[in-house]
Amino acid sequence: MTDRPNSAAGGGSPAVELVDLTKAFGDFVAVDGLTLDIDENRFFAIIGPSGCGKTTTLRMIGGFEEPTGGTIRLHGEDVTGTKPYQRPVNTVFQSYALFPHLSIFENVAFGLRRQGVEKGEVNRRVNEMLDLVHLAETAKRKPRQLSGGQRQRVALARALVNHPRLLLLDEPLGALDLKLRKEMQLELKRIQQEVGITFVHVTHDQEEAMTMADSIAVMRDGRIERMGEPVEIYDDPRTRFVAGFLGASNLMEGQVSGTDGVTVAGGHTFYVGADKLGGVTGSIHVGVRPEKIHLTHTDSDPGHANQLKGAVTDSSFIGVSTHYLVQTDAAGELTVVVQNLGAERFAPGDQVILSWDPDHTFVVAS
Amino acid sequence: MTARSALATKADRRRRLVPYALLAPGMLWLLVFYVVPMFRLAITSLQEGSLEQGYQFTGNLDSYASVFTTYLPQLRNSLMFAFGATVIGLLIAYPLAYAIAFYTSRWKSLFLLLILVPLLVPFLLRTLAWRVILADQGVVVTALKTIGLLPENGRLLSTGWAILAGLVYNYLAFMALPIYVSLDKIEPSLLEAANDLYASPWTAFRKVTLPMSMPGVISGTLLTFIPAAGDYVNVELLGNRNWTMMGNVIQSKFLVIIDYPAAAAISFTLMAIIVTMVVLYVRKVGTEELLT
Repeated sequence: MTDRPNSAAGGGSPAVELVDLTKAFGDFVAVDGLTLDIDENRFFAIIGPSGCGKTTTLRMIGGFEEPTGGTIRLHGEDVTGTKPYQRPVNTVFQSYALFPHLSIFENVAFGLRRQGVEKGEVNRRVNEMLDLVHLAETAKRKPRQLSGGQRQRVALARALVNHPRLLLLDEPLGALDLKLRKEMQLELKRIQQEVGITFVHVTHDQEEAMTMADSIAVMRDGRIERMGEPVEIYDDPRTRFVAGFLGASNLMEGQVSGTDGVTVAGGHTFYVGADKLGGVTGSIHVGVRPEKIHLTHTDSDPGHANQLKGAVTDSSFIGVSTHYLVQTDAAGELTVVVQNLGAERFAPGDQVILSWDPDHTFVVAS
Repeated sequence: MTARSALATKADRRRRLVPYALLAPGMLWLLVFYVVPMFRLAITSLQEGSLEQGYQFTGNLDSYASVFTTYLPQLRNSLMFAFGATVIGLLIAYPLAYAIAFYTSRWKSLFLLLILVPLLVPFLLRTLAWRVILADQGVVVTALKTIGLLPENGRLLSTGWAILAGLVYNYLAFMALPIYVSLDKIEPSLLEAANDLYASPWTAFRKVTLPMSMPGVISGTLLTFIPAAGDYVNVELLGNRNWTMMGNVIQSKFLVIIDYPAAAAISFTLMAIIVTMVVLYVRKVGTEELLT
């Protein structure tokens, strides 16, 4: 991370610079003074609940929405107020928006033809792109003859064939079923690395964002709440909203004690890295991810510094892992996820010790 | 086992009969009221004789020849007015349908209703109303004279322009509605995608909106051209003797002169000409869009 407030790390000039970008629809402010740099060749994801302004932000970058205030620069050039067809940007739309009256070949060739690319060159590039997305044999068909996953790849090919320096993706996988979505996530990531251009990807699916993106911005009410690499913001979400939106969290209210501890309501103190507390005092929430908690029987060594006693109230077997609900005296009910490595199992009613590393403990403001 | 499969075949057979059962009433109707009269008309067209002496089947083709010998001006008028009404109707209806489809989210139903309202008034009455509108002392004529588009002694009623206006007006809804339906089906995101792929709004219209609206344009132009080519009311009420169309010839042969063979032959010839033009037109403008 650089030391700029909202900057996705990387070298060179930013592919996208948003400066105090604002969009209001009547009284409703969809995007509220957003300032953001996205560096070149990044896979950048904007996530957030519906209505957080992520799609509006993307549409303003693409030119489909006129900002009410602020500036948009692409590769250093101010494009605020220019039309979509004047911007060196291509978009993969949520509903794919393939032209139903044109063949797959002509759909992909559309942008090249509008730019006046020479005919032989159009053929070469379209065929090359259809090969890249494994759709060469569908060139003559119409969009309605293709499956959802194939249409999605046509939409991608239609945008990429123009060699944009920036590709915008608006919930591109939203209409696919789970298995196909997982496949396409890896496919998109592969293509992004292969073509080496900047992807800005909008989604409400935090798992999808973490799978694909190098950097994630979490938006809420038209502003960026937290930004960084997936691991970084997952391990240290900093706000309650981000902790809840990105994965599951156990949050416990408490008071800061000393320089590296938080005492929760039950009188129990957890150790937190002093750097994470950063000198704050008073009321605070302390959190830990369910999979970071180590579960042991009361008679064995828990192994980690932060410990709690509790009783298992519920267990559900998920396949790769087992999810437990544990009632603790000091901190209420906590969720624990244990990998099924063949180690010991716990049944409802078992007395257990929950323990976790202080490094895996994070704090969010109350 | 056998009982069950017998039952299954019975159910299968019944299912296979469903489409025919659904088609039957329509087919029967067309057979009795369309195919049979057409056949009788075809026979009549090859007959000779008069009402008093009766008609004999002689295989005489003179009645057919008369279309091209005697009634060429009327045929020309029919095709000319129908073509003119179709072109002008398209020029009025396309922007109208476009505006309703893309710019009137709240009042869409109201505008569509307004297009349909004239159809609630009987055809004859609607056309008679145009006599008032285009009357020599009427608002339109006075206005056109004031701005100098019409000479001092000029008039609109009983001219070709009045016939054209009447035809355009009477068939406008049939032009506008199919076009509206095909325009309304176009997702706004398709136009955004075109813009995203370097098409200016005008190019996006030419490459996306227009081709996608062609099914509506084809339906609309056919629904205008075909009835307009056979129309005789507009000439009767708004035009004059110089502009009589094929419809007027057929009407007078059938109902005034009572020369059935000639009337039948002229009807058939007109029908053949229209069908040929329609087939050529549909093949030229795009059959595939019609099928989707």
